[in-house]
Amino acid sequence: MRCLVIEDEATTADYIRKGLEEGGHSAVLCGDGGEALRLGVGGQWDIIILDRMLPGGADGLSILKSVRDAGNATPVLILSALASLDERVRGLRDGADDYLTKPFAFSELLARIEALTRRFKKQAVEPELRIADLCMDLVKRKVERAGRPITLRPREFRLLEFMVRHQGQVITRTMLLESVWDCHFDPGTNIIDVQISRLRNKIDKDFSPSLLHTLRGEGYTIRIP
Amino acid sequence: MIRLWASLTFRIALLYGVLMMASLAVISAVFYYGTVVVQARDIDRNLEEGAQSLSGSYKTHGRAGLQKEIEQLLDDGINQDTEVYLLLDPQGHKLAGNLIDWQADAAPLDTLVTESVQRYGRPSLSRLLWHHLPDGATLVVGRDLHDKQRIRSLVWRSLAVGGGIALLLIFAGALLFRRQFARNLSVIRRTALEVQSGNLSQRIPVTPAEDEFTRLSRDINHMLDRIEQLMDGVRHVSNTIAHNLRTPLGRTRAQLEEALRHHRDATPVSEAAAAAIQDIDALILVFERLLQIAEAESGARRRPFEAVDLRTVVTDVVELYDAMAETRDMALSAEMDDETSVLGDRHLLSAALANLVENAIKYADGSPTIRVSVREEPAHVIIEVEDHGPGIPADAIPRVTERFYRLESRVPGSGLGLSIVTAIANMHRGTLRLDDAAPGLRARIILPREGADALPDSGIRI
Repeated sequence: MRCLVIEDEATTADYIRKGLEEGGHSAVLCGDGGEALRLGVGGQWDIIILDRMLPGGADGLSILKSVRDAGNATPVLILSALASLDERVRGLRDGADDYLTKPFAFSELLARIEALTRRFKKQAVEPELRIADLCMDLVKRKVERAGRPITLRPREFRLLEFMVRHQGQVITRTMLLESVWDCHFDPGTNIIDVQISRLRNKIDKDFSPSLLHTLRGEGYTIRIP
Repeated sequence: MIRLWASLTFRIALLYGVLMMASLAVISAVFYYGTVVVQARDIDRNLEEGAQSLSGSYKTHGRAGLQKEIEQLLDDGINQDTEVYLLLDPQGHKLAGNLIDWQADAAPLDTLVTESVQRYGRPSLSRLLWHHLPDGATLVVGRDLHDKQRIRSLVWRSLAVGGGIALLLIFAGALLFRRQFARNLSVIRRTALEVQSGNLSQRIPVTPAEDEFTRLSRDINHMLDRIEQLMDGVRHVSNTIAHNLRTPLGRTRAQLEEALRHHRDATPVSEAAAAAIQDIDALILVFERLLQIAEAESGARRRPFEAVDLRTVVTDVVELYDAMAETRDMALSAEMDDETSVLGDRHLLSAALANLVENAIKYADGSPTIRVSVREEPAHVIIEVEDHGPGIPADAIPRVTERFYRLESRVPGSGLGLSIVTAIANMHRGTLRLDDAAPGLRARIILPREGADALPDSGIRI
């Protein structure tokens, strides 16, 4: 995947580049507002990672606006120290697809990049989702594993659906909070762990193999081991 | 009427009206004195003079001369309608005059009296002066008061009608004055409320007219410009702080993480790195919450409030925390009216409710249930979280909303949760109330009802 990283802070930029390359992506770094504008509007990217505060007081949002005004729909992830809810909402409203606040865990950035680029590739509406012998009927809102029905609460269904849609990817706690519970604040507790373990009890406990995995320090993933 | 009385403008207008009525009464009194009273005095003086001049004639011309003069006076065509004369001989027989019926015995002498008599066969209220002449004859000089009576009642009637109309005009004027005043003030109040809830870009519309309100509005607008400037400055500073603190923290975290990525073993170094990352995350969380409180307290909001369906907020939060409650053998329930919405910020209201629910789960040991409910009252919407745990001692209740105050230091927490809830409630022009649920804690976010603050054009108290 080709990523454009617009970030003026050399250490952070370098850290992002290294991490992306380890994850098998290619990254172009850019620390200058004018250059960033040229590359952002003109280049072909799979994703643009944009810092909001650039040298000379330029706001990344103005670059984002130019990109969008040029009819460019490349997914944009804003990476910023401006962490307040207001700033996040503003970034998203101005055309960003995701907003991650600094400091961040690299796994979180990677997981969000993958979710974003995946989301942009396929947006088809399927009647059912599958992983291994687990089957979700999205119309009847029913779940079966190995032919046995599993009773889920509506929110558990949404949680499982989100995970199955992103099967194989790392999904972080904040991604779940935002997508499943529409919760845009950090509760600062292990609340998502508890939700996941309850879901795991229902879909994995009496079955084999286990599908729902916790990745220590990163988040969760659902995959066939 | 009580509402009207509560209005200062109405009271001022009414006071003004009362003063006007008082001055009107003074003018009326002077007018009354100048017409009715002076006229009555003139009459009395005329009567005394008349009696004197007739007594004079009696002295020079005798009784017969007087009798003749009276007859002449009655026939001369002057004051025909009002003059009253009567001359009686010592035995009480009428010698001359135009009175038919009188009561001579009762009449006091040489004093002016007002009596009902028969004049030319018609009843008449007259002012009379009885005078005994030296030979025992009686002279009566009088004046019919019919005209004067008419003038007096006309004056009274005009005063009554005029006064009534003035009173009505004053009342109507007070109402009109109040309405005009209220309309001007409501524009200012509306803006003030908007600003109070954080929309600092709001300004009072200024009309071209150069009246007091325009000048006041312009001054307030200048003040708001200045406040907005200051707030922008504060926001800029906190953004810079955020940037300058978060960037190095982020860098440290990134370096630790990178080091960990290449050494996923259980050496003391990598364990220390993992612990350091956790500490940094906790630090960031506290930092974020402080910023969140500051943001909510300053009302520095760029997003406008919108109608928030509290059902969604409660459902999201309850379904987020239900699993956590289950692990502690508590049942988390939600009770809601059909559709309850308030004007506000959905994410912040969710955060506030989440804090209350989390507190209940964390601190209400042994409470089998935690009840979350949303209730509508005429003027308020109440979001309530009730548990039946140990509760908070009454003397600690005022302190628990202070920043970093912790009642239970054995349970991990930042000590900022209730401060955030208070800040968010205040930002929505509401309050956080903590009460004893006997046993347990009842935490309530009391918000003004949507529209309850909207100012109707009339009926505003000022």
